[in-house]
Amino acid sequence: MVLAEMVGGPLPPFSADPEGGKTGAEVVFQGRVRDEENGRAIVALDYEVYAGMAGKELSAIVAETAGRFDIQDLFCRHRTGLVPVGEASLQIVIWSRHREAGLEAVAWLVREIKLRVPVWKWGICADGERFPSVAGARDPS
Amino acid sequence: MEITVHLFSHLKYALEAASLTLDLPAGATSADVVDAVRGRLSAPQADIPLQVAVNQVYVREAVPLQAGDEVALIPPVQGG
Repeated sequence: MVLAEMVGGPLPPFSADPEGGKTGAEVVFQGRVRDEENGRAIVALDYEVYAGMAGKELSAIVAETAGRFDIQDLFCRHRTGLVPVGEASLQIVIWSRHREAGLEAVAWLVREIKLRVPVWKWGICADGERFPSVAGARDPS
Repeated sequence: MEITVHLFSHLKYALEAASLTLDLPAGATSADVVDAVRGRLSAPQADIPLQVAVNQVYVREAVPLQAGDEVALIPPVQGG
């Protein structure tokens, strides 16, 4: 089973293995919002999306991942809109018979999401200021 | 022909608009849209690399446009 969703609110808890008993590895990745963006203190990120295309790209990448790696099931959810510091913005769960395929699949999937899904981050400061994140910029830390 | 161009991130911030309507001659391409929008920007926004999507599909090279096409300029994406 493959699932790809853009979600406009908190992400639900992880699902149970839909192929219970047939998989030996469960690989979980959650990307969370840090308290800093481009070196500036923030209270949240606002994820701007290209409506329609973002969901289509995410679905295409997830389908490619399922075809490329020897995995059984894959759930991937990406949040849209405001995500407070500390909350998850990206959630991936992959079940595979063996760990190597699951670990390789999650690394490939995250990399492709960061290259292709039309989503952009806006930093939200405590005083309400909103600024577009600079792609590729590294926080001083 | 009129073409609506969707803007995101730095482009939206710099041009203070989520979209623009451009009046382009027949035969115009996606590359003409990029040039027209870059012409409204100053550094550093004018130097940001852009991908182009036409009708919500990435196009790697310039493609001819038709009236009513949905064009989006895609700055480096930041998902995750």
